Amino acid sequence: MLKLVDIFGYLSVLLSAGTLVGQSLLLGGALFIFWVARPGPELPAGSLEAVRSGSWRLFRAAAIGLAIVQVLYLYVNSAVLMASAEIGFREAMGANFFLAGSLILVAALVASVLRFQGRYAAGFAAVLVLVVLGASVMTDHAASRVEGRIPLIILTALHEASTGFWIGGLPFLLLGLHVGNERTAQWYLTRRFSRLALVSVVVLVASGFGMSLSYVGSLRSLVGTSYGLMLMAKVAMLLAMLALGGINFLMLRRYGPEKVIPRLRRLVEAEVGIGITIVLSAASMTAQPPAVDLPNDTVQLSHIAARFKPEWPRLRSPNAAELSTRYPGRPISKLDPTRQTVAYSSEGMPLSIRVMNDMKWSEYNHHWMGLIVLAMGFLALLARTGRAGWAEYWPLLMIGIAVFIFLRGDPECWPLGPKSFWATWAAPEIFQHRAAALVCVAFAIFELRVRRSPSQEGVLPLIFPLLCAVGAALLLTHSHAISNVREETMAELSHTPMATVGVVAGWSRWLELRLPREDRSLPAWIWPVCFVLIGAGLLNYREL
Amino acid sequence: MRRILYGPVFSVLFTLVILAAVVTPLRAHAVLMDSKPGRNSTVKGPDIPIWLRFNVRVDGRRSRLQLIAPDGSTIPVEAPRQTAPDILESHIGGLKPGAYRLQWHALASDGHMSSGEVDFTVN
Repeated sequence: MLKLVDIFGYLSVLLSAGTLVGQSLLLGGALFIFWVARPGPELPAGSLEAVRSGSWRLFRAAAIGLAIVQVLYLYVNSAVLMASAEIGFREAMGANFFLAGSLILVAALVASVLRFQGRYAAGFAAVLVLVVLGASVMTDHAASRVEGRIPLIILTALHEASTGFWIGGLPFLLLGLHVGNERTAQWYLTRRFSRLALVSVVVLVASGFGMSLSYVGSLRSLVGTSYGLMLMAKVAMLLAMLALGGINFLMLRRYGPEKVIPRLRRLVEAEVGIGITIVLSAASMTAQPPAVDLPNDTVQLSHIAARFKPEWPRLRSPNAAELSTRYPGRPISKLDPTRQTVAYSSEGMPLSIRVMNDMKWSEYNHHWMGLIVLAMGFLALLARTGRAGWAEYWPLLMIGIAVFIFLRGDPECWPLGPKSFWATWAAPEIFQHRAAALVCVAFAIFELRVRRSPSQEGVLPLIFPLLCAVGAALLLTHSHAISNVREETMAELSHTPMATVGVVAGWSRWLELRLPREDRSLPAWIWPVCFVLIGAGLLNYREL
Repeated sequence: MRRILYGPVFSVLFTLVILAAVVTPLRAHAVLMDSKPGRNSTVKGPDIPIWLRFNVRVDGRRSRLQLIAPDGSTIPVEAPRQTAPDILESHIGGLKPGAYRLQWHALASDGHMSSGEVDFTVN
């Protein structure tokens, strides 16, 4: 039952992320349709018809998606509650989340089936999206605070609304630019959306700052808790989005439609990708207690400085037999001296000889990976100069990563451990590692073909930046199964910055491929530098 | 295929891909800030009042307490009462000396279910 609760608890967080994405699309979509894409006197009659009908289709699709997510959310959360508190479904129906989820479900269903026509269409749509927003805020941190609840609820509502209007509106703008083929209509949409985005960003930043003061409270909490780290990652990604938005803003005011629109479409694609990653990070934050509530589980700044003081990488590994992994048929007695606690980590985690060997094993893995990624970054930079054609073969280094994962990922398996090669494919974790190794090999060959091809147009080159961006999002929100909260924060202190840089790497490579040729120079330099930074981060990874 | 990837529909598909792939950490949401009996404390039996204070508002009607006795058996604890939105209170009687573990499952007002334990000794 506990396992079921764990799995359902995890699903419930995933569904919260779906709710945030869905509500953002509804908020952004409603404002886009009724304000941004509202026909103006300067436009020829009917020039926005295709944009509006396309936007309605996307709005309805988002509403259907949100309704499906809510049905699952209600089911999963009720199951968790009924199993944990041992209560019946009738009792679970009275819970706050059930009421909020039901409200969102009804509003989403109405939004998905109703034809918004006539004089009051905009007002009715506004009521529906406000119901969704209000119900969503009911299940946010603000609703459960003991002190300062009302101001926090107002700030949260403003924050989520401005997120929706801006980030949720971007896919509608992208659709509008794609469907509305006339330059006049595209120019009209872009300029109106730019004004909306400007106001939204101001509200988003101001409300976010206010909430941070209450939920984080101090520099120590900002750096020393998972919540604070995720907040910093969110801010970094927001800055990347603002940089793209700033370029759009300046272009719109300096150049004409013919020059701006082709570039703007590509920049908005990257903005959508980074924006979605930000919304996912926000969902991840709602699943964690605010930093201010963890005074005893906040890592000391001095401990962080000591752990991350640059040191020579660990290039010698302990033997596989010295790890804490217990092989079948080779149990390690509890009385074995190598299993006794001989020290404590700076965060109070008990350490035995075998646990320390596990950590050294992991550091060795991270450091060798760091060397490979660093080499990939430097070679990509070298290739970028155009003076070293051989450096274009850098994707082959990914085969090195694959070999490393295969050999070191599962020390209990062949060739290092006693488990046979074929006997271990059924274990999910081992299967994942081997699948990752195979993907690396396939990816190396595939990306090399892309690089050696004279034209980098088409769909295939986009796979690399997409996988990079998705992988970084995974790393950003993935869980480290460490029972010690402060040690978990320590692990995230190294992974979160690398993931954030990974997001930038993925979307800068995307822009290099998608922007007009004359504008590719800057993004083409950014992603190799990101690789170098990730390599350096891996080289300085520490567990001890 | 080319049209789909190049078109704006891609952004929606990408949303779904990330949502399907992302692994979000799940941590305890309601954090126990203070309790009586305190963690690893020793209290005088046989009757023990229970008082738990959380960092957030909790739904007392949908929260549950139970006690694990020194022999591993489960002792039911009467349904918690609330004297404040962030407090759960209850009472256990007839406890013999020994090491006990109080397990709590609390529903925070924002819909997250959290669990935890408080170890204490009765003398």
